[in-house]
This record gives sequence, C-alpha cells and structure tokens, in this order.
Amino acid sequence: MIDAIPIPGIIQAILVLIMITGALIVTRKDLLSLLSMYRLQSLLLMFLALVLYAESGNYVLLQMAVLTLASKVLLIPYIIRRMQKEINISKDISFHYISPAYSLFITVALIFFSYYSLSKTLNELTDNKLFYLGAVFGISLALMGMMVTFSRKKIVTKTIGYLMMENGALIFSIFITELPFLIEVLIIIDLVILVLLAAILAVGMDSSIEEFQAKLERIKHPARNGGTH
Amino acid sequence: MIMFTSLFYLGIFLSLLGFVLPLLRLENNRKAHRTFSYSLSILSSVSFLAFSALVFLKKGEYLIPVYSNAGLIDFTFYVDQLSAFFIAVISVVSLSSAVYSFGYGEHLSHERRKDYMASLLNLFALSMVLVVASYNTLEFIFFWELLSMSSFLFVLFEYGKPGTRKAGLYYFIMTQLSTMFLLLGFFGIYANTGSFNIQPVTSLQNLTLIFLSLFIGFSIKAGVVPFHKWLPYAHPAAPSNISAMMSGVMLKVAIYGLMRFTLTVLPQERWWGVLILVAGTVSAILGVIYALKEHDIKRLLAYHSIENIGIILIGFGLYLIYSANDLNELAILALAAALFHTLNHALFKSLLFLTAGSVVSATGKHNIEEYGGLIKTMPYTAALFLIGAVSISGLPPFNGFVSELMLFQAFLGSYLIQDPLLKSLVVLCLSGFALTSALAAACFVKAFGITFLAVPRSESARDAKEVGKCMIAGAVIPAVLCIVLGVFSLQIFSLMGYRTDLPDMLVIGIIMSLFYAITYLVLKNTAANKVRAGETWGCGTPLSSRTEYTASGFSQPIVRFFKDIYQTREVNERRFYDKQNTLFKEGAGEIHLMKFFEEKLYDPVARSINYLSIKVSALENWSLDTYVLYAFLAVLATVAYVGWIA
Amino acid sequence: MNPAQVLCIAINAGLILGISPFFMGLVKKTKALCQGRRGPPLMQPYYNLAKLLKKERVYSGNSSVIMKATPYINMAAITAAALFIPVACITTPAYGLGNIILFLYLLALAKFFMALAGLDAGSTFGGMSSSREMSISSIIEPITIVVFAALVYTLHTVNFYDMFSQTTIMQPFFQPELLFISIPLFIVLIVETARVPVDNPETHLELTMVHEGMLLEYSGRDLAFMEFSNSIKQTLFMAVLINTILPWGLSAELTAPAILFSAAAFLVKGAFLAVLMGLFESAQAKVRLFALPSLFALAFFFSILTVCLEVFS
Repeated sequence: MIDAIPIPGIIQAILVLIMITGALIVTRKDLLSLLSMYRLQSLLLMFLALVLYAESGNYVLLQMAVLTLASKVLLIPYIIRRMQKEINISKDISFHYISPAYSLFITVALIFFSYYSLSKTLNELTDNKLFYLGAVFGISLALMGMMVTFSRKKIVTKTIGYLMMENGALIFSIFITELPFLIEVLIIIDLVILVLLAAILAVGMDSSIEEFQAKLERIKHPARNGGTH
Repeated sequence: MIMFTSLFYLGIFLSLLGFVLPLLRLENNRKAHRTFSYSLSILSSVSFLAFSALVFLKKGEYLIPVYSNAGLIDFTFYVDQLSAFFIAVISVVSLSSAVYSFGYGEHLSHERRKDYMASLLNLFALSMVLVVASYNTLEFIFFWELLSMSSFLFVLFEYGKPGTRKAGLYYFIMTQLSTMFLLLGFFGIYANTGSFNIQPVTSLQNLTLIFLSLFIGFSIKAGVVPFHKWLPYAHPAAPSNISAMMSGVMLKVAIYGLMRFTLTVLPQERWWGVLILVAGTVSAILGVIYALKEHDIKRLLAYHSIENIGIILIGFGLYLIYSANDLNELAILALAAALFHTLNHALFKSLLFLTAGSVVSATGKHNIEEYGGLIKTMPYTAALFLIGAVSISGLPPFNGFVSELMLFQAFLGSYLIQDPLLKSLVVLCLSGFALTSALAAACFVKAFGITFLAVPRSESARDAKEVGKCMIAGAVIPAVLCIVLGVFSLQIFSLMGYRTDLPDMLVIGIIMSLFYAITYLVLKNTAANKVRAGETWGCGTPLSSRTEYTASGFSQPIVRFFKDIYQTREVNERRFYDKQNTLFKEGAGEIHLMKFFEEKLYDPVARSINYLSIKVSALENWSLDTYVLYAFLAVLATVAYVGWIA
Repeated sequence: MNPAQVLCIAINAGLILGISPFFMGLVKKTKALCQGRRGPPLMQPYYNLAKLLKKERVYSGNSSVIMKATPYINMAAITAAALFIPVACITTPAYGLGNIILFLYLLALAKFFMALAGLDAGSTFGGMSSSREMSISSIIEPITIVVFAALVYTLHTVNFYDMFSQTTIMQPFFQPELLFISIPLFIVLIVETARVPVDNPETHLELTMVHEGMLLEYSGRDLAFMEFSNSIKQTLFMAVLINTILPWGLSAELTAPAILFSAAAFLVKGAFLAVLMGLFESAQAKVRLFALPSLFALAFFFSILTVCLEVFS
C-alpha cells in the first residue's frame, strides 16, 4: 500500500499546509493560537523531512526531523509559553505599516516574484518542479516571517516571525542547497538563545519594543521626558 | 457594391443637412426644423446601419472616395468588418439618442439652445462615423478633432451651471493631450513608412515608443485609469442624450483606434497584451469602486463607463496574449468577447443614461439620495432602467452576461498557456474581473433600489411625472436590443459565422420562464391566494423617508472594506487656552474623501508645468538687449554644436 | 439532447429539490444538539413550507412589483441552477447546462433581485441586509472564481458534468489539488449560505442580520419560496463540494439501480456534510462584519495557493 502513495502529492500537501500556517501567523491576533500555529508549522516541517527521508534515504534528513521535533516543536514553544504566562498578555492587536489582509496579498505577489527570480537563476540547477515549488514556498515563508517581525508590535509575535523566517530558510535549504547538518544545529542553538534573550527582554523590561524604546529614550534624555511629570 | 457605398454617401449627406438646417433659422417655426433635423439624424443612422450591416455580412473591404485634391487633403474612406462593426454600434446609439431627443431636446431652456442641440447632434454622430471610417491618419486626426470639438461644445452646453466650466476645461485639456500623443504616434509611423495611410507596417523603428504613445493617446480618450479623470466631470455636465452617446460610443471610438492600430497597422509584440490586460483590470476595479461611492446618478454611470472600458480592454489584452501564445481559438473568443462587450456596453449604457436623463428631467435633481419610490410614478422608466441595470450587472439572460461569460470562458481557458507566470497573472486578473462584476451588481442594486424603490425621499421625487412618449421610445430601442442580443446571442453569432460552444441563452431563458410559469401556475391553484395590504415593520414606530436606508448607508460596508483605495484625509484642528494644551477652547474635525488621482497625479503635473512656465516667463523682460543676448547665446551654442559634432 | 439525458437532469434536479429542506433541518438539529437543546424534528422545514403555503400574504403599502415578482424570479433562477449539478447520475448535456459561470450567475441573479426586494419595502432592516449581502457577496466573488478556476485548471473543463465525471474515476486522495480546493470551497459554501461566522441564520438581530433581514417583509407562500430557494442553493454548493472531494458512488450509468445507489450515496454524504456544517457553525463565533475582509483574504490566499500548486508543478 505504501508504494501506491505518491510522495510528490504528500509533499505538495505538506508545503501548502505550511504556507497556510504561515498565513495564519500573519493574520492572527491571539498569541496563544499564534504559538500553536508555529508549533504546527514546525511539526509539518518535521513530517516534510521525514517524507523526504523516506523517499531519498538521506540520513541527514532524519536527523533534521528529530532535531526539529526536539527544538522547534517542544523546547522553543515551551519557553515562549512560559514567557507569555509571565507577561500575561494574550493578544497582539495592532499592526504597523501593513494590515494582515494586505500582507497576504503581498505574499501572493512575493510567491510569484520569487518564482520569477528563481526561474532566472535556478533553471539549470533543478529540473524537478517539486523542488522548485519547495524553494519558492521556502523563500516566501521566510519573507512572510520578515513581514511579521516588522508589522507586529509585541515581542512574542516578533520572535515567532523570526522563527518562521528560519523555518522558511530551512525549507529552502532542504529542497535546494542541502545545508550541512552542523550549520542547522548551530542555527537552532542560535534560535534558542534568541528566544531566551527575547524572554529576558520581554519579561524583564516590557512587553513591546516601543515601550522598551520609550524607556531607553527616557534614560538617554532624562530632561526631556522626565521633566513634565 | 454601388448600393452599399451610396448608403454611406446618403448617410453623410443627411447628417450634414441635419447639421446645417437648424443653424440657418429660415422660418419662424423652428420646432418643425428641429424635428426635421432629428428625423434626418435618424435617417442617416438608419442608412449607416444598413450600410455597415451589409459590409459586415459580406465580409468585404471597401474604399470609398469622397473628395481628393491629390495633395494633402484626401477624404477617402475605408470600411472593413471592424470599422463596419463600430459604425453599426455608433448608428444604433445615435438612432435611439435622436429618438429620445424629440422629447428631451424640447425641455431645454432657450430656443437657440434647442437649435444647437439638433444641429450639433448630427455633427457629433457624423464625426464619430467618419473617424471610424478614416483611411489615413490625417483624416483620422481631422475627424477626431471635429469629434472633440463638437463634444466639447456639448459639455459646455449648460455653461451657466456651477461646475460646468471646470468640466469643460478638464475635458478640453485631456482631449487635446490625447490628440498630441496620437500625433506623436502617427508621425512615428509616417517617419518609418512615408505614408499616412492606415495599413499594415512590417518593420518599424521605435516601435515601443509609437505603441506607447498611441496607447496613451487612446487611453486618455477612452478613460482608462489613470487618465480617466475627465469622464466623471464631463459626462454629468453634458445633456443626458449626449452623455448617452459620449459614454456609449465616443469612448468606443478610442477603443476602435486602439484595436485598429494594434491589430492591423503595427506588428504586435508579446508584452502589449500583458500591459493592456493589466491596465484593463485596474480600470475595471477602480472604476466600479469609485462608482460605489458616487451618488450623482450620471457621475455614477460615468464611473461605470471606466469600468466597462476596462472590461473591453481585458478582452482585448487576453486576445493579444492568446494570439502571442498561438492559442487561436481562445484568442478569437476573447476578441469576440471584447467586441461584443463594446456593443453591449454601448446599448445598456446609453439605455441607462437616457433613463437617468428622464429621471433627472422629471425630478430636477441629480443626487440619488433625493429620489425614491419612482417605480410607482414612472413605471416605464423604472422598467427600462431595470433592464439596463440587470444587463450591466452581467446577469443572465441579458446581453451583458453573455459578453462577461465569454470573457470568463476565455480566462478559464488559460490553463493551456505554457508560461507559469503568465498563467498566474491571468488568474489574478480573473479574480479582479470577478470582483468587478460582483461590485457592479452591488452598485446597481444601490442605483436602482435607492432611485426607484421604497418611499420618495424628497418633494420633487414625490411629484415626479412619467416622461413623454419619445423619451420612452428612445430608451426602448436599446432595451429591446439588450434582451434580444442576450437571449438570442448564440443564434446571432452563428448567423455571423462564429461558432462556439457557449451556453445557449435561449434555452436557459426558456427554462427560466418555464420555471417561473410553473411556480406561478401551481401556486395559483394550490396555495392560499389571500393577500392583505399591511405596512412595513418598523418596530412599532412610524416609518418615513427619513428612516429608509440611504445610498451612502448602502455603500458604507464596501467603502469601509476598500477604505485604503478611497484615501480619506482627516483634518483635526484643536485650539487651547493655555500653552500646555490642557484647556480645550475650540476645534474642528473634517473627513475629506481624497480625489486620489487628481491630487496625486494631475495636480502635481499641473503645478510643475505652471512652475516651469513661470520660470520661462521670467526670462522675458521686454528689453531688446536681453533678446539680442539670447540670440547671441543661441548662435554661440549652434556654432559650438557644429564645431563639436561635425 | 435525447430523452435519457433530459431524464437524468430531471432526476438530479428533482433529488436536489426534494432533499434540500432535509439538509436544512439536519444542520439545525445538529446545532441544537450542540447547544444542549432537543431541537426541531428533522422534517420541520417541510412542515414549515406546507404551513406557509396555506398562509395569506401581507404586502407593505410601500412595496412595488419587485417585491411580488422576486420570489418567482428567485425560484426560477435557482431551480434552473439545480439543473447544472449532477447528484444522482451523470450525462453530457447540451446547450451549456452545467457551465460553471452560468451556474454562478444564475445564483447572482437571484441574489440581485433578493437585494432589491430588501430595499423595496423601505424598511431599515431590509436595506441594511441587502447592503451587507451585496458587500459580502462581492468580496467573496474573487475567491469563488479562483476556486472554480483551480477546478478548471485541474480538470480542464468548464462544465460541471464533465468535471465530476472525471472526479468519479480519480482517486481524490492522490490529487492534493482537489483536497485543497475543497477547503476554500467549504468557506464559499459557508458564506453563500449565510452561516456563522459570516451571518447567523437563526436570529433576526440587527447585528447578525444579513440574509434574514431581506426576507423580513415576506410572508405566506412568498416566504416559503424564499426559504425553499435558499435551501436549494445550500444543497447545490454542498453537491459541488461533495462531488469534488468525495465523488464515490456517483454513477454515469442510466440504470435504475445505479441511480438509486448514487442517490442514496449522495444522501449519506450530504447528511454527513450537513452535520459537519452544523458542528462547524457551533464551534465558531460570529465575526464582526468589518473583520470579514481579513478572513476572506485568508481564503483568497488559500485558493491562490491551490492555483500555484497546479500552475507551478
């Protein structure tokens, strides 16, 4: 029975689901569901690696799947969840620069754009359309993550955007460049440190970067801001 | 052959006679003259119509010499299927407009104005026909300018009204700009071929430049976004029978020009289709979105013209894309859709403008917020407007639906395109097109519902009387054609020798009327037939016209959905008693709807030109010495130029 | 068209017309059970229709001929649309029956007149509802058309009958495109049938008033028609979804057992979907009207992704 299941179909399905979780992360306001979306995305990523492993038998992919499960599905969401409980904020309502609906339309444009630019450069590299699709979606996901980081205000959301960016890069590397496993491990360590730092920033100082900056300003120019009150 | 061309000559002659006659003021009974002039206009439209129908069915090409002095002036006309089609469209609309004018023309205020109306109507219609039939570019420009001038006079027709002069100025500048771009393109062609004739050119230098200048020139006249701004000013200012012609067919003359020059004259390039498709989609979406916000009935219709021109361009763009990809069947379908929509838009838009004119002349108001309940006082006008509204919203089985269906089919055939990116672009444009047609339906629910249904919202709407027979008859012609062209579309296509596997609207129409009849009959015999008159539920409070839903209320959700497109500008002014801004003294808040294109595109251009001209005029100081100095510098520059280059 | 084809189309339409109120009742029952109520009997919509047919009609003095003609136009357009979807047997009909665009626009015709009727009586509720209905339907339209375009891209035909005769022989699990098309199609189904989170069919509150408000002035058999045509419309969209994702059982044979089997299969699948819709509605909260665009943007994004899948691979 296993032989009859076409691997490309499943990969396509997982890729689309990953993009959907990305879209939900872009639009959702509820921090809890943002986090669970990220967790779902990482889980899907793990499945993607597993399916690819089943197809190619490349041992690195299996390691990557295990690593993803351990770090991105379990460890990082756990830390973020702790941080969230600590700062006791459940929603990130406001958006900078672009509203969620527009960022989705921009993403559609980005998908086509990255397809266009990849078709200029990668044409000889890969004839496999599926790998192409994966690369395009990977880049788009990374860009979506970037949009989240600059269009949201709360640190938790920004962190998740950053994490999503990394997921996009991982997808791209799975399909196109075969990132060495060691680098992936280093990136994960980096991510964990980032999340920890974000947690310290958020819990220790404030819940949003703006307030943090305001504080910073106050420290820098005590006369201007401190004088009136 | 001889009979054909004599029909053409006859049409020209009748129109010219109709143009001259009211101006002569021979007798005291001027009304008879005007009636005669309108009749001449009708007759000439009929002869043009017969002529074009014959040419179209024979699929011939005819050269018709009128006057030539072997030099520059060469009035030879050329008619093939494409121009015959457009002549037919023009003639149908001018026919119904002339019939309408029997009644409408007599409503005008001054005796002399009535004369001018009759006279200019003939000239206006004739110049459109002759632009379409032009054989060389000089002729084209000549009649194009004649068309611009006669329509310009119509825009200024009621020059005493506020806003009319601004409309006239806008229209004049834009139309001259369009002529300028056209001249650039035409001379570009001339520079390559040495001939002014409109005929195929195989190789061209500066092809991109020539195409772009022609495209911009025709786009300005057709009202494609972002060159559309003159339309919503000019159309409401003109008398309604003329707005029907301006919107129904004058814009189509520009479409004709675009089609003529891209199809037969210039060698096509691949990207043109993409450009035209995107421009069409943007025009269609923005046109309908602006229309939703508009409550002046004629301006609303003017914005819908922008939308429909966009739809025509979408069809044409798809044609170019498909023919560049060797998908001939789809290409023909798209072109047929574009042409059919041209005809359909001419019909339903003139119908809508004519009936809107009836409403305006019956109530004396332009704002739909002051109408209401007119279906009871003006039932015929209401029924005709409803036919137009259903057609323009693209609902089956009327003609507007058939052309939109053809376009949808052409869009959906894009799975045959090889290039993935082009495919995705087509899908995106498809979604825009679907949005457009749905918004158009919403807009016409508003236009019809607020104007004709429920309780009158003003005294003038309550006292409105049904208009005269001629004004109804003038609108009946396009209305009947809307239905016939919709229901019998497939039969008409096969008559013209175009076979497709489109749904047969006749069958669908029969099925629907059958179901209508069955439900009606079955119920009449089985269900309870008791009917009681009641009053509208208003939670126990008496309802009046003040509690009705308004047009702005109706469009408010859509306005909020698309608020980023409308671009409002908010002004908050606050003044305080003290310096720390704590004690509030007074303030004002305003929300303005920004005229985006006017403020962001037109005004900056106008300002920079103004700035430039001030700088240039600063060079003039009326002193002879200065001018000699300029001449000296010029000669020096020339000498230097010659010295360096040669 | 030969008599067999006519018969087949008639059987399809008859089945849709007959079964529609039942699905309506099933959704209601599911919701009631989710809310801990016993709910009306499953056959209640039929009783309602029968009762309404016997009642007198009341017309407001403000209303016009539009109000009186709309129920018939509505019924005619939607019944005509019912000829377009195969549920019990598949043929290859002529005259463009089954054309997806015509299908959508027949429903749009019904909606257009319903919105006019909402404005006709001069009631604020009616005006508000028709305004909202037209607004929502215009922003869902791009999604609908992209979903249908995705169907066309996958199956290479614009006719429902041809489409579903292809899906019956495909194994849908192996067609990720079809699986994904079904999700935005489900959203379209929810929006077009005016259900939570877009609208709430249970209430007549101004806050949720979209579809129901337009029917507020209707009574007697006119109301019966409006409700009946609404339930037919729901069944039509359900049938599209079912035939796309679960076409099993739909037969192309024109024999009595085959048709009976497909009809029974449709009944079971439809009942399953109706329960699913009821559960979905119960799990959702009504979304604010002005929060809908971002919901729809998500659906649009999804439908574009399915097109991407088709186009890029």
